[in-house]
Amino acid sequence: MTEQTRHEIEITGVSKVFGQGEVAFHALRNIHLTIRTGEFFTLLGPSGCGKTTLLRVIAGFEQPTTGSLNINGQNVVGLAPNVRTVNTVFQNYALFPHMSVAENIGFGLKMLGRPRAEVAATTDEMLRLVRMETMAHRKPAELSGGQQQRVALARALAPRPRVLLLDEPLSALDLKLRKDMQSELKRLQIETGITFVFVTHDQEEALTMSDRIAVMNAGEILQLGSPHEIYHAPSERFVADFIGETNFLTLKVTARDGSGATVGLPGGATAQARLAEGISPSPGETVPAVIRPEQVQLCPPGEGDMDGAVTGAVFFGTDTHVHLTLADGQPFTVRRQNMADQPEPAAGTSFGLRLTPGALQILRG
Amino acid sequence: MAGPARESHRWKWLLVSPALIVLLLAASGPLMIVLVYSFLSPGNMGGVSWEPTTEAWFRVFWSRDIFEPELVTLNDSHLAIFQRTIWLSFQTTVICAALGFPTAWFIATRPARTRMVWLFLITIPFWTNLLIRTFAIQEMIRGNGTFNSALLWLGVIDEPLEMMFTDFAVLLGMAYVFLPLMVLPLYAAMEKLDFRLVEAGYDLYASRPQVLWHVILPLVKPGFIAGSILVFIPSIGAYVTPRVLGGGKTMMLGNLIALQFGQGRNWPLGAALAMVLLVIVVVALIFYLRVTGAEERARNDRA
Repeated sequence: MTEQTRHEIEITGVSKVFGQGEVAFHALRNIHLTIRTGEFFTLLGPSGCGKTTLLRVIAGFEQPTTGSLNINGQNVVGLAPNVRTVNTVFQNYALFPHMSVAENIGFGLKMLGRPRAEVAATTDEMLRLVRMETMAHRKPAELSGGQQQRVALARALAPRPRVLLLDEPLSALDLKLRKDMQSELKRLQIETGITFVFVTHDQEEALTMSDRIAVMNAGEILQLGSPHEIYHAPSERFVADFIGETNFLTLKVTARDGSGATVGLPGGATAQARLAEGISPSPGETVPAVIRPEQVQLCPPGEGDMDGAVTGAVFFGTDTHVHLTLADGQPFTVRRQNMADQPEPAAGTSFGLRLTPGALQILRG
Repeated sequence: MAGPARESHRWKWLLVSPALIVLLLAASGPLMIVLVYSFLSPGNMGGVSWEPTTEAWFRVFWSRDIFEPELVTLNDSHLAIFQRTIWLSFQTTVICAALGFPTAWFIATRPARTRMVWLFLITIPFWTNLLIRTFAIQEMIRGNGTFNSALLWLGVIDEPLEMMFTDFAVLLGMAYVFLPLMVLPLYAAMEKLDFRLVEAGYDLYASRPQVLWHVILPLVKPGFIAGSILVFIPSIGAYVTPRVLGGGKTMMLGNLIALQFGQGRNWPLGAALAMVLLVIVVVALIFYLRVTGAEERARNDRA
């Protein structure tokens, strides 16, 4: 196994049940997951999907009901958080209010019993890393949200953990600061080479920062892949719907080939479609399919793969969302890049719709 | 300009004035009387006779030989009582803190619904008269009381333990009586504690004792300060508990004062002793707040 593909965290069949009997709540259902050393891994999903519970299981705050959890090859089930080589950045930072910034950052090393000089040196280094040198002696209450965020990061990074767990660390920040911290986090991850496990419900955050994303819902991982795969090749409806905007179509399979299928489009034409992993529809079957609004181009009627009649258009500046109705009545949206001299499409006009080859994806039933 | 702010200020004074008047009449008034009495001479049948003297204050610390009034020695019995009073009160405070912390922690970590039940249970002792509760303790620990009978029956001891009229009995009684006064402010401080900070401590390699010492204790310190004051002050002035459980052997300052106003028929000495009690409380408070405050300041200065 090469250094790049070493497995930092291996989660095998982990489930977590809170409560018993009638009131039992299955927060995690049979999770299998491998997180590679040095990657920026994101758990993405709506609130209540189990992503934070999974993070807390990795941190050691919760013990899994079943399954095993290895960190760096060692089974850590049953081990307390203070003996795991992972550190957490908490959602609301959880900085110690009675300690200064420097004391907060040095806390982990102090608890590990490191010599005073080493604690001081590492604290200074961390203060530089998060650009908080001038704030070392402030109390957390005297810091802004963004500054507290930096201190929380520095505090978690100071003991040089193998894995850094981040529980929606940016959700309390305003938009501008959030953007800054996103690039800051990415920079820190690359500079330190530490494996980051990042929990968020913000799909844009997940797409821009992650090496790989696991999309979760109702305690299960629905899809695992690179941001590109998750966006362009969603495996099921929930994933396609949760990430970005998309057109859902119900189409009939007309033919199958090795890795894809040919489907009939409204209006009679056919198109090539990719298949989500693990499905194999037979010809004649009706299947759910998706295509992103920006993967379709408007053209004169009859020249595209199918036709649509405009029902409305919404101007967004850089682009316009053109809402149409297809020949069989299914609604469809096209995102058209705006040019200064282009008129807005008027309701009632017909357009041809040209699909980008390979952009049509058949979902799991 | 006398704006509406000034107006509302005046109203506030009007609102607190009933409380202020009660305080003035019920606290300051008697205090002044006690102060004045301490500088008068004892009356023949109790009370005071209006001859100004500092004799009472002198007798607080010194005693005169019965036959040779010029022979003056330190009043050892008074000093022993002062010392015992301070020491027992200090011990009571420490015991209440040691017992109150886990109790308050237990309550604060219960689900919100059941917390009220536990708090309610804590306040149950207040329903019964202090004297009756103290006699109940006496019943438990006296020579052939519940404890001794049980221990004898179990064969743990061969003869009854002497527990009545000892410092132990007084400590037991005071710790029992004042424990809720420590638990309640501690609970109030813990209820506000952000338990994610505890998790953050564990996450950063702190063991359980380290989390307790470095995270929890500093954060619930205000509760400790409030609880200590609430326990220490009534302990210093305790009367019923040392009277019933300590008897004449382990007298505390409160009993000594009562003695002067009663059998002793020396009201000025009783008044002077009462002022000493007040001074001890004030000095202890100032010292305590200085120490806890200085720690805070030192922390800030280092920062």
